[in-house]
Amino acid sequence: MASGLILLFIFALMMALILLGFHIGIVLGVTSALGVYMMLGNVDAALSIIGTTAYEAVRKDVFAVIPLFVLMGDIVAKCGAARDLYHTCDRLLRRLPGRLAIATVAGNAIFAAVTGVSIAAAAAFSRFAYPEMRRLDYSRKYALGVIAGSAVLGMLIPPSILLIVWAILTEQSVGALFVAGVIPGLLLAFVFAAYCVWRAKTDPTAAPTPPVDVTVMPADRRSETLGAIGVFGLIVLSIGGLWTGLFTPTEAAGFGALGAIVLAIAKGMRWKEFMQAIYDAGRTTAPIMFLLITASMYSRFLAMGGVVNSVSELAATMGLSPFMLILVITAIWLILGCLIDSVSIILLTVPIFAPLAATAGLDPLAFAIFGILIIEAGLLTPPFGLLVFTVKSAVPDPDVRIGEIFRGAAPYCILIVLVAFIVLLFPWLATWLPKQIL
Amino acid sequence: METPFLRLSRPLHVFSAAWVILLALVVFVDVMGRALFDAPFQGTAEILKNSVVSITFLQVPYAIFLGSMLRTEIVSEVLGEKAQLVLRVIGYILGMMFFAGLAYSSWDPMLQSIAIGEYEGEGAMRIPTWPVRILLVVCAVYSFIAYAIMMRLDWQGKLHSNTSAFPPD
Repeated sequence: MASGLILLFIFALMMALILLGFHIGIVLGVTSALGVYMMLGNVDAALSIIGTTAYEAVRKDVFAVIPLFVLMGDIVAKCGAARDLYHTCDRLLRRLPGRLAIATVAGNAIFAAVTGVSIAAAAAFSRFAYPEMRRLDYSRKYALGVIAGSAVLGMLIPPSILLIVWAILTEQSVGALFVAGVIPGLLLAFVFAAYCVWRAKTDPTAAPTPPVDVTVMPADRRSETLGAIGVFGLIVLSIGGLWTGLFTPTEAAGFGALGAIVLAIAKGMRWKEFMQAIYDAGRTTAPIMFLLITASMYSRFLAMGGVVNSVSELAATMGLSPFMLILVITAIWLILGCLIDSVSIILLTVPIFAPLAATAGLDPLAFAIFGILIIEAGLLTPPFGLLVFTVKSAVPDPDVRIGEIFRGAAPYCILIVLVAFIVLLFPWLATWLPKQIL
Repeated sequence: METPFLRLSRPLHVFSAAWVILLALVVFVDVMGRALFDAPFQGTAEILKNSVVSITFLQVPYAIFLGSMLRTEIVSEVLGEKAQLVLRVIGYILGMMFFAGLAYSSWDPMLQSIAIGEYEGEGAMRIPTWPVRILLVVCAVYSFIAYAIMMRLDWQGKLHSNTSAFPPD
């Protein structure tokens, strides 16, 4: 069989097996080995792609970034610092309509700078921001939407697991991609906040203006200030160190994780919570790392079949304009976003799409941010909307239905896609800051 | 028969998650040593590299038992109970095939690595890599067993919410 046919067959088989609900990592590994066997006709060669890749794929010190940043985020979320951040933002915003919602956006934007995944933020804010918004009679849909929607910021504002995975796959600098995510992330946060204000103004049932001021105990205020300052300190330490070139990404992650532990001790985190944070971090990390390894098997197989060349040729013969190419890619991502999780989407498509986009003359940094945004929109869309399910399982209100959260999050989804295209139209949003710093 | 394998997976998971903190400390010592005493911690990169591989594979059995390996339920949801069970069983078999292949293909490199005392890094701080090779084979076998146990438990209807061998927290 010609290698093109084998590639098509394996790709179809892979998608079919993934859709049937088999473990994605296992599917990637098994089908890649099968593909190599079909090309070389040698069982040992096919199996050795599993063995050598398993040993080699994550043998770079930069991969330590993933468990370290996840641990940092989980510890900060568990020690109550996210809640402190929320209350501090809330106090600073007193006069704005829908201020609790905006505090959720702002709190998420800042918290995003210490966490690499969105789940921890979505769970944390569901637990404390939702009851407070409900206490002030915010509508359920409005409150749930802003929590699920703004959790997306965690994946865009560095550190971000998706950006790390993207950087590794495309052999770009993790630092440059991190910095590239900052302005688009802030833009997205701003757009979210503007939407919250607009909604609160046009529809008072969504977020009524609170009649009374809530007084805060001085002791609470002190503890909250400690938490908020601690989070800022962590951002300055790890992300600041990264931007100024003082730290490599791995070093920034190491310092961030240790700093988070120090902050947690200062906040009086209990041993049980600490162990829970470590345990949760492991639960998030293990499947992602395993997927990274098996995805390398898949990219080795792709490389062996010369897939990037064939796809580029195909795109060239079809005469796709860059605009059409982007539309096709966007459509594929949005469809995949309804089927599988974001890391898997990136691992499956980026080895093919990134070179295509480069040949079409798109800036690799801007394309990366565009891609992350589009793929993140899938975190909020049915049926796989990971953040929606996280909010559902964390929100302390059994009456909340999944559908409500999806409907509440829909506007944010549209805003994310909008910002994605803005970044593509104005690539300097992504490229300007990295040029200044690196 | 399943119990010891089930029981061991969780402490292994916690152990490897805690290992991450150790890595943070190694990074800290390295950076501070370089900044303050002009003496970086030799072998930091090698320790990190080998640790990441080890941590990942030590956590896989627990992820299998817990049903936290990433998958999608979009198609299987609409199928009947029986069909879902059949699909899951095929899934376990695929998992067993993968880890059998991994164990098999890692076996010879492991023997070789032990024979030559394979290491990485230079000078005083040589990090032996053969333990990682052994760990890879052991974890592959463990993961194979984990999928086999999952198949048996699922078939007997002993899983929680069809995906986890452990009750929810």
